[in-house]
Amino acid sequence: MNYRFVVLAGFAMACSKPNEAPKTWQTIEKSLQTQLITITDGDTLDLPEGNFMFTKNLTMDGKSNVLIRGKGMDKTILSFKNQTEGAEGLHISNGKNIVLQDFSIEDSKGDNLKVNDTKGITIRRVRSMWTGEPKNENGAYALYPVLCKNVIIEESVAIGSSDAGIYVGQSDSVIIRNNLAYWNVAGIESENSKWVEIYGNEAYDNTGGILVFDLPGLTTYGHSTRVYRNNVHDNNHENFATKGNVVASIPPGTGFMLLATHNLELTDNDIANNKTIGVGIISYELVAALTAGETAADVPGGAATVVNNYKQDSLYNPYPYQISVHQNRFSNSHWFPSLDSDIGKLFLTESFLNPPDIAYDGIPNPERQDAEICIHEDEKTVIMHLDAANNFKSLSKDHKLFDCAGVKIEIRS
Amino acid sequence: MKVATIWIGVVMMLAACQPKQQEAVVLPEETTSIDLSALGKAKLSEYNFFDGPLKNLLPAAGVMPYSLNSPLFSDYAFKKRFVKIPSGAKVKFSADDVLDFPEGTVIIKNFYYPEDFRKPEGACRILETRLLIREKGAWNTLPYIWNEEQTEAFLDVAGKTIPVSWTHYDGSVRTVDYSVPNINQCKGCHLRGDKIFPIGPSARQLNGSLNHNKTLPNQLVQWADMNLLDGLPPISQVQKLASYEDDREPVEKRARAWLEVNCAHCHREDGPAKTSGLHLLASVTDRFKLGIGKPPVAAGKGSGGLLYGIVPGKPDESILQFRISSTHPGIMMPELGRKLVHKEGVELVRQWISQLN
Repeated sequence: MNYRFVVLAGFAMACSKPNEAPKTWQTIEKSLQTQLITITDGDTLDLPEGNFMFTKNLTMDGKSNVLIRGKGMDKTILSFKNQTEGAEGLHISNGKNIVLQDFSIEDSKGDNLKVNDTKGITIRRVRSMWTGEPKNENGAYALYPVLCKNVIIEESVAIGSSDAGIYVGQSDSVIIRNNLAYWNVAGIESENSKWVEIYGNEAYDNTGGILVFDLPGLTTYGHSTRVYRNNVHDNNHENFATKGNVVASIPPGTGFMLLATHNLELTDNDIANNKTIGVGIISYELVAALTAGETAADVPGGAATVVNNYKQDSLYNPYPYQISVHQNRFSNSHWFPSLDSDIGKLFLTESFLNPPDIAYDGIPNPERQDAEICIHEDEKTVIMHLDAANNFKSLSKDHKLFDCAGVKIEIRS
Repeated sequence: MKVATIWIGVVMMLAACQPKQQEAVVLPEETTSIDLSALGKAKLSEYNFFDGPLKNLLPAAGVMPYSLNSPLFSDYAFKKRFVKIPSGAKVKFSADDVLDFPEGTVIIKNFYYPEDFRKPEGACRILETRLLIREKGAWNTLPYIWNEEQTEAFLDVAGKTIPVSWTHYDGSVRTVDYSVPNINQCKGCHLRGDKIFPIGPSARQLNGSLNHNKTLPNQLVQWADMNLLDGLPPISQVQKLASYEDDREPVEKRARAWLEVNCAHCHREDGPAKTSGLHLLASVTDRFKLGIGKPPVAAGKGSGGLLYGIVPGKPDESILQFRISSTHPGIMMPELGRKLVHKEGVELVRQWISQLN
C-alpha cells in the first residue's frame, strides 16, 4: 500500500472544494482608463478575456454611441478588490446611447457600476457582484443608473449589494427585464423613476425582492410602473444594510414593497415563500415613523431634537395611490414571519400561522379621499388593511376594501 | 516513516482546508503609449507661461497670479494659481457665479509640497499643473504631471499616484499617496450640467488681497484698474466668501465657506451630486436641502448607521460629519481629491453643527 498515495488522495478530497487555485490578475488600469478618455464617439471598446485588477475607479464621460464589450460575464472580470480611490468601480456619466455588455464587475469599495445623466444606456449580460458571503462591508449598488433616460437592464446578474442590486433612480423610461438578483438587501429597486417596466426577473434570497419607491427631496418624482411575470421567491435574507438608508427598514421576508408610489400595476407574478409579506403597500409616513421610533429608543433625548424634515418638500406626496394588484400567484410555506421587524411581530399576532400575502398600511392621505388601492386576487389570498394610522385598531382582512376597478398602465414607447 | 508520512499528511490536510485568505497575484501593467496630441501640447514648457527655469513658476508677461479666499483642501498641497487672459480681451463681472472669462483664457493651477511647511518658500516638489483652457466657447481640462527632476511636466490623461512626504506645521513628518486626477475626474468636479466651468475664480472668492497679504490691493480692484475686468460695481457692494482659516470670522461663515469650497462644486442644483438632494452652497437657507433632518438617499455605507445629514447640536449623529472624517473610498466626502482628513476643516464643521439648533 502506498501511503503517500492515500495521503494525497485525502488531501485532494478534503480540499477540492474550498481550495481553488489563486487567480492571477492582470493590470490594464492605465491603458483602459486612457482608452475610456480617448475613445471616439461611435466606437467599440473590446475588453479582453481575463481577470483584471484595479486600484482606482474607471470613468467615461461625455461619450456618444459607444459600445463597451467583454468576452462574457465568466470570461472578462474587472475586480476592484484593491481599490484605494473612487466611490464606484466603473462610472459612466453624461453619455448618449452607451451599451455595456458581457463582462463582470466585482468588489468595488462603493457602487460597482454607476451611470448618471445619460440618455440611452443598455446594460446587457453584465454580472455585478461582491464576492464571498453577503455582508455589510459590501458596496451599496451593483448596477446603478441614476438620472438617466431610456434605460435597459437585461439578462444581468446582481449579487451581494448591501443596499440594492439593480437600482434605477430618478430615471425616465426604464426597462428592467430577465435579470437575476440574489444575496442583496433589495434585489431590484426602482426609485423616483417614471415609465418603468419590470418583468421576467428572478429575485430570491434577498431581504426584499422587488421595490418601487418614491422618496422626498430629489430632482424628480416617480410614477407609472408595470411589474409583471417576475419570479420573486424566498427573499428571507437578514437585512445587512447600513442603518439610515431606507432599505434598512425592509423586513426580511419581503417579496414586493411599494412605497409612496402611484399609477402602478402588479400582475402575473409568482410570489412564493417570502415569509413576512408577499406585497407591502406603504406610505413614507410609516417609514418616517418607524425610523423616528428607532431614534427615540437609541439616542438619549432623541426624538424631540431629531426630526425627519421631509415635509419641507411640499411637492412630495408620501402616500401610495392608484395601485392595481391582480392575478398574481401567491404561495408561502412559512408559518411565521421574520420577527426581526415590528411589522413581522404584528403579522405574527394578527395573522397567526398565516403571514399576509398583501398588506396596505391604510394611512389615509388627508387630501385624497380614495387612494384607489385595488386588489383582485383569489379568495385564499390573505390581504390585510392595517389601519396603521390608528394603531391598527380597524385592521381588516376583508377583500372588499380593495374592490375597485384599478388603473391599467399604458407605457409609452 | 509511515507514521510520519501520515502525520504530515494530516497536518497538510488541516492546513490546506483552513478558509485561507488567498493573496491575489497582481501582475504589473505593461506600458503602452496612446497618442494624446489631439488633446493638448505634450509639455507644459511649450505654453511659455513661465520665465526662467520652469520649476520657479515665475509668471511671464501677461500671466497673472491670483488667490482665493477659501481654497479647496487637496491633501495639504500648496497651490500657485495664475490666469492668462489674451491681450485686449476682458473678463466680465458676475455677482454670484464664476467670472466670465474671454475666449483664449488659460487658468493655471500648480500643486506642490514644500519640504518643510514651516518654510514654504524653501525647497519644494511640484507634482502637477492643471490647465483650464477656454477654446471655441468651451472649457477644457488638461493635467500635466511633473518629472522627478522638476524640469518639465507632461500631459497625462489617466492620472497618477505619487508618494510624497513633508514636514508638517507641527514638525511631524507626513506622507500621502498623492493622487493626480485623470481627465474625467477633473470633470467630476468641474461639470455644471454637461459643460465644464472653472470653480474657483468667482468675485466672492477673489474679493480680497493676493495670498491674504493686506499690503497688496484687492484683486478685483486691481484687475479693473488694469482694464482686465468689466462691470465691477463698487467693491463694498461685492459679495465676499469668508476665509475659513480666518478665526476672526464667525464659525458659521467659516464652516459654510469650507463646505462650499469642498462640497458645493458637486452638491448644488446643477452639480453632479444633485441626485442626493443635498445642497451646500453658502447661500442655501432651506434646512432640508442643507441636510438638517434629511435622510440619506443613496449613501450605502456612507450613512455610517446614522439617520440624517445633519442633526443640530449633534455632530456625531450627523452623516455629513461622518463622511468628511472618513478616508474609506466608498464613504468619504468629497469622493475625489483627498486621501487625508482635513483635520482643521472637520473640526470647524463640528463646531458649527454643535452650535446649530
